[in-house]
Amino acid sequence: MNALVALCHFCELHGPRTLFCTEAVHPPSPSPPQPGPAIPGDRDREADREGEGLTMRANSSATQGADMCEGCRSLPASHPGFVSVDGETGIRYLSHQHPRQPQLFSVVRQACVRSLSCEVCPGREGPIFFGDEQHGFVFSHTFFIKDSLARGFQRWYSIVVVAMDRIYLINSWPFLLRHLRLTIQSLQNTALKVFDSEQCVCPQRAVRMNSAFSPAVFPHQRSGNAARSLTSLTQHPNLWASLHSSFSWLLKACGSRLTEKLLEGAPTEDTLVLIERQTEQEEEMSGWDGAEGGVSNPQPSQSESVQAKDFQFDDGRQEDILGPKFKSLRHLRQVLGASDFRQLAWHVLMGNQVIWRGADPGLIQSAFNVLKALLPVGCVRAVPYSPHYEEAYRCNFLGLSPDVPIPAHVSSSGPTLLNKMEVALSNENLSVEVVSLCLLCLKEEWMNKVKVLFKFSKVDGRGKEDTQKVLALLGATGPGEEDNVRLLKFWMTGLSKLYKSHLMTAVRVGERTLSQ
Amino acid sequence: VKHIRMISEGSRDTEDGSNDIRLIVYQDCERRGRQVLFDSKAIHKLDTSEPVTCKNLIVTVSFILKTSDETKTPPNRSGACHIGSQASEKDKPPSYQYTRPAPDVTMLGEMMFGSVSMSYKGSTLKIHHIRSPPQLMVSKVFSTRFGSSTSESTNTLQDSFESMSQTFPSHTSSIGKISANTSSFLLIFAHQKPSEQPRCNDSVFPAHSNPVDMPSRGHSEDGDSGIARSASLSSLLATPLPSPGSSFSSGLSSSYQRRLLRSQATSLQHGPVPRWNTEEMFSLSDESCSSNPVMIQRKKIAISIIISLPEREEENHNFQEFFFSHFPLFESHMNKLKTAIERAMIVCRRIAESSQRVQVYLCRVMEALGEFRMTVWNLYMAPRISEPVWLSMISQSTERNLLCQRFLKEMSLLMEHGAKSQFLSALLTAVLTHHLAWVSTVMPSSMPPIKSACQKPASQTADLLAKSHPYNPLWAQLGDLYGALGSPVRVCRTVVVGRRRELVQRVLYVLSYFIRCSDLQEHVQPQEQMDNPASPCTSQTTDPTPEKPDPLKPTACVIGTSEKALNSDLGNAIPGTSVEQSHEILLTDTKSTSPSPSVESTAVRSEFTEMAQECFGEDSDSVGGGLEHILASQSPLLHRVQFHIGSPSETANDGQAGGLTGAGCGRGLDRKLHQRLLSDIRRNESSDSALGDSDDEETSAQELYVSHEDCTNLVCLFLCSCQVESRASVNHFGRSLLGGYCPQYMPDFALHGISSDLRLKQCLMADLEHTVLHPALDEPVAEALCIVADTDRLSVQVVTSQKRVCEGGRLGRDVMVSNLVHTLITSVLQLYALNIASDFCVMHLEDRLQEVYFKSRSLAEYLRGQTRVPVKELGLALGIESSDIPLLAAVASTHSPYVAQILL
Repeated sequence: MNALVALCHFCELHGPRTLFCTEAVHPPSPSPPQPGPAIPGDRDREADREGEGLTMRANSSATQGADMCEGCRSLPASHPGFVSVDGETGIRYLSHQHPRQPQLFSVVRQACVRSLSCEVCPGREGPIFFGDEQHGFVFSHTFFIKDSLARGFQRWYSIVVVAMDRIYLINSWPFLLRHLRLTIQSLQNTALKVFDSEQCVCPQRAVRMNSAFSPAVFPHQRSGNAARSLTSLTQHPNLWASLHSSFSWLLKACGSRLTEKLLEGAPTEDTLVLIERQTEQEEEMSGWDGAEGGVSNPQPSQSESVQAKDFQFDDGRQEDILGPKFKSLRHLRQVLGASDFRQLAWHVLMGNQVIWRGADPGLIQSAFNVLKALLPVGCVRAVPYSPHYEEAYRCNFLGLSPDVPIPAHVSSSGPTLLNKMEVALSNENLSVEVVSLCLLCLKEEWMNKVKVLFKFSKVDGRGKEDTQKVLALLGATGPGEEDNVRLLKFWMTGLSKLYKSHLMTAVRVGERTLSQ
Repeated sequence: VKHIRMISEGSRDTEDGSNDIRLIVYQDCERRGRQVLFDSKAIHKLDTSEPVTCKNLIVTVSFILKTSDETKTPPNRSGACHIGSQASEKDKPPSYQYTRPAPDVTMLGEMMFGSVSMSYKGSTLKIHHIRSPPQLMVSKVFSTRFGSSTSESTNTLQDSFESMSQTFPSHTSSIGKISANTSSFLLIFAHQKPSEQPRCNDSVFPAHSNPVDMPSRGHSEDGDSGIARSASLSSLLATPLPSPGSSFSSGLSSSYQRRLLRSQATSLQHGPVPRWNTEEMFSLSDESCSSNPVMIQRKKIAISIIISLPEREEENHNFQEFFFSHFPLFESHMNKLKTAIERAMIVCRRIAESSQRVQVYLCRVMEALGEFRMTVWNLYMAPRISEPVWLSMISQSTERNLLCQRFLKEMSLLMEHGAKSQFLSALLTAVLTHHLAWVSTVMPSSMPPIKSACQKPASQTADLLAKSHPYNPLWAQLGDLYGALGSPVRVCRTVVVGRRRELVQRVLYVLSYFIRCSDLQEHVQPQEQMDNPASPCTSQTTDPTPEKPDPLKPTACVIGTSEKALNSDLGNAIPGTSVEQSHEILLTDTKSTSPSPSVESTAVRSEFTEMAQECFGEDSDSVGGGLEHILASQSPLLHRVQFHIGSPSETANDGQAGGLTGAGCGRGLDRKLHQRLLSDIRRNESSDSALGDSDDEETSAQELYVSHEDCTNLVCLFLCSCQVESRASVNHFGRSLLGGYCPQYMPDFALHGISSDLRLKQCLMADLEHTVLHPALDEPVAEALCIVADTDRLSVQVVTSQKRVCEGGRLGRDVMVSNLVHTLITSVLQLYALNIASDFCVMHLEDRLQEVYFKSRSLAEYLRGQTRVPVKELGLALGIESSDIPLLAAVASTHSPYVAQILL
């Protein structure tokens, strides 16, 4: 939790003092800036002043050492402090007598003073929440610890939890109360046993009653008694280490008390197919270039590169290709001319094999690179440059040098998607980025139709009539219907195995019974 | 409707509502000391000797709903109480007697102000727990503000109180009359019809017309610092999404951004930074916007609400859990009460005659208090949707099929019902446009699916964020439900009105799929657990053994030696305890008195491995109780230490000092997160000039952490872990703000149904205005909206806090049906009609929603860098129909804040 915990004590001689403070230090986040002219320096100084205005006597950390008694001290000055690291998150929990972060010093000081000498708690022991935007918000629990030598046989302490998130802190009240009570009871019980044993040895009440009250001696006595530390009151030599553990745990547990289950969209088919290919490639070979950006990696920059790279030929090298190359679909279209491009795109969309002959492998590769964007990833099977002909079932993009013979058997209106795509491509007002996003929309839209058709015809095995209904419902009928169906069927081959097997194995028991 | 069970939650025992809620207003004046300005306990309503009707008997100013208490029968379906204005012309305004304040007010005053006054000028919030009788007290202390012209003070009011010991008859001044009309309320149950006479809004919530800056997430000109700490505002500075041409598969959603920024905005590491609402004061003058507000004298006003807690332990517990988790809502209503008190003081000061002045004041405050009591009671007691579709689908994956079936069935019934008017399409258009939390749930993940192939994955980045940069999940959820993810920040609620209960419930049920939020899990420490890590002194240590030599040494020691040296030392001492490959060493006390050190050491090792797992995976079976012993106990058997030894350079690289053996992956993830965030930031930096001075801040934060890198000289201790039980959280907004068919309009609910819009019409505008002024969301809000769907008239309207006047006395604007949404629903329902598995239909629905998201991306990209775009052009260029533009623009604004400004 974004908070700190501190143990405070009302010293009979020195007033409210911070004894021990555990703060959580978070790993640096790539923090977007705090906007506005927030000048931390000024603020801190102001806060310091405010804080000190409240204190019984002005205390800067420098002068503090001088007027500090055993009761005001936790760790000896030489002690370096405690640290615990949460290995999973990198959060560190640091404990010292005072907070290490200078801007928090006055915040804790303020919380300490307010909790022990400003705020009023009925019965003096118990929880209070208080705070404001300037000084932070505080959940405080005050309590007594038995001390056979103290005035009234007890000393007054408080544990404060300080945070800037008011609502979070209030939301956590029941949790904090429950666990701070345990902490406090544990301290109190331990001290009570010490108290009892001390009373057995030397009953203070009797001592005090029997000793004659002498104004001269009294102040001296008091100051001597004021010096007992909490360690001595509990006879717990590892008290501070234990408190550090308790406080660290409290901060961690309070922060993870509630967790969110926040869903994202399912990955797109393209992503799934890429992941599958990645896995296959990793299994098959290790030396493949395109496999290096692990797909299991959550970083968008990485998966992005995967998306761009993995098309069975390596994009990464494209930058190195010298000579002319196609930069974008639009570029290709400009070079080919609108009607030839349409022809080409039509065949690409339909899954027909596209053979590109030329002497420049780089040029061919760049053409394929831009063309493959028309298809779902799963539909792309490319052989960028081959010394011999490859059959159509092996690849739908094939680059050949001019002298490679093409077998004789190899030798074709338009689908809706093509028409829409053309509109975007022909509109010179649209930037390349917009076009690619439009293309993405179109592809995803049609991929969703593919899914429905797959479910309908392959999984459920519905008849022709029903299938026709679905096609109508999907907006795939009308002009270009035949082509649309061809496209859908071809694209079906691009569905990820994961998706297909999910639908195939989907339990259909009891389906629709309630609605019948 | 067979499948819909909307019952009020059983755990909400109605008796809780019988608690009295007491209001105390105090002032602390430098010159005159403390004075009670109001104490509801000291006020008695006088019998006006009217012919007593049975209704008047129930008219009561104190919030006593003993009805259910006495009868011991469950209240009719819901415990929500009903307020209706019963005041007819003949009714006299109630008159009140102000008696001597209860004896405890002095003490309460001490608690409200504290024993030492603070010089702080902003408002202070306090919560006290009073043990006996069990009560919770929430106080707000304000500094006062006068307009320059008004030098008279509230002292006159106080004087009037002091001089009063006798009863005052009622007076009917013109102001008194207004109060009277509104202040006799009636607590009746749902079956009773409210009076026809609409109440005068302005007397209840005086129109507060402070000009409020419209906070906007749009970038460029908003360098304004007044709202600097707002998470959502600052989100504009880091353009949330990767730039175009980059991955579509996983941008950072705005819900992620919101959470990250919230964590930063509330971070302690920046120290206290005053936020947007610090300047809240108590106005004692009408001219709240007076050009020259003068602090006449130091005077503070405190307002306290004291809630009596139920006597029964379990009820008490339940109420407290509810209260603290829903505190922002309580606070928001308290702010409303404060405004009413302000108004009451200002208004009554204009009245010359003192007894009359007091009556007016008392009437107004009592009325506002009644309103507060009723709202709180309703908030706690109103019926909820017992099975909100979205949340149920998230949490119960096994029942998914059934849920999908029910959901589609209800939706198709609804579609049929309102087919002609496209009711459902209009409603969903509005809901998808304004309750925007669905967007991040369809943004495609780049992660390989872990479980079932096509289920939505849980966001791992958000999960990681929550662990390393904790934020308040409850706050995040509230924002989700209100749809506060767009830019500028808007919050929205949906109310379904209709006489046909079944129909309204069906609408609510269907909408509970589209109004989304995260689900919350609560992790609690089992009660029976003996050694809670919270308690520092365990049984072993309670036995003081002062003669123990050098007690700290065996538990921990300071590392100064080199890794090698230590390794060899340890290797000699206890073979097998040093862990290869990781830079930490498990050490047992070399002076251990353990009878068989070798056995012990192996035991230690295995235990540590388990502990290591325990530390990092909360779900795994716990052995972690042992850690507590390790740290606290003095038993020589258990003296163990973990050291982090690493070369400084290495720790610095890692951003953390190694972990346990199991920490490798954690560290990796951590690094990944940072890399990811950094890369996103970097990507955004170029596109966003406002990032300008960010570097300094970042460096300082980094430096801070780096300075703590040097942990090698600290005493390093294990982080405790302890057994946790995870369970679905009960008290969260997803459960509480999706209301059922309520007897009365509820101002807080993200979704609920009512039978009549009478009270809605009375309160809605004031509520929306209040939401903008005092958002429960704890961040500035530009606009508050309410979608009102009327199932009787089959109309859907959107009411906004911005435009007050609507033609023909109607509440808001009609919603234009988005063609995209309409075809989406139609095709899903057609698939359903073709007997396709409902599970698949729901998947298809999600796919189609994802299409909407993709379209919004094109739109955003198209608009990038443009200043103004004619709508026609969008149609031509992108094939976007004009009916879809509001929806797509709203969706786009969650990932591309600039969109809103261009399309405005």
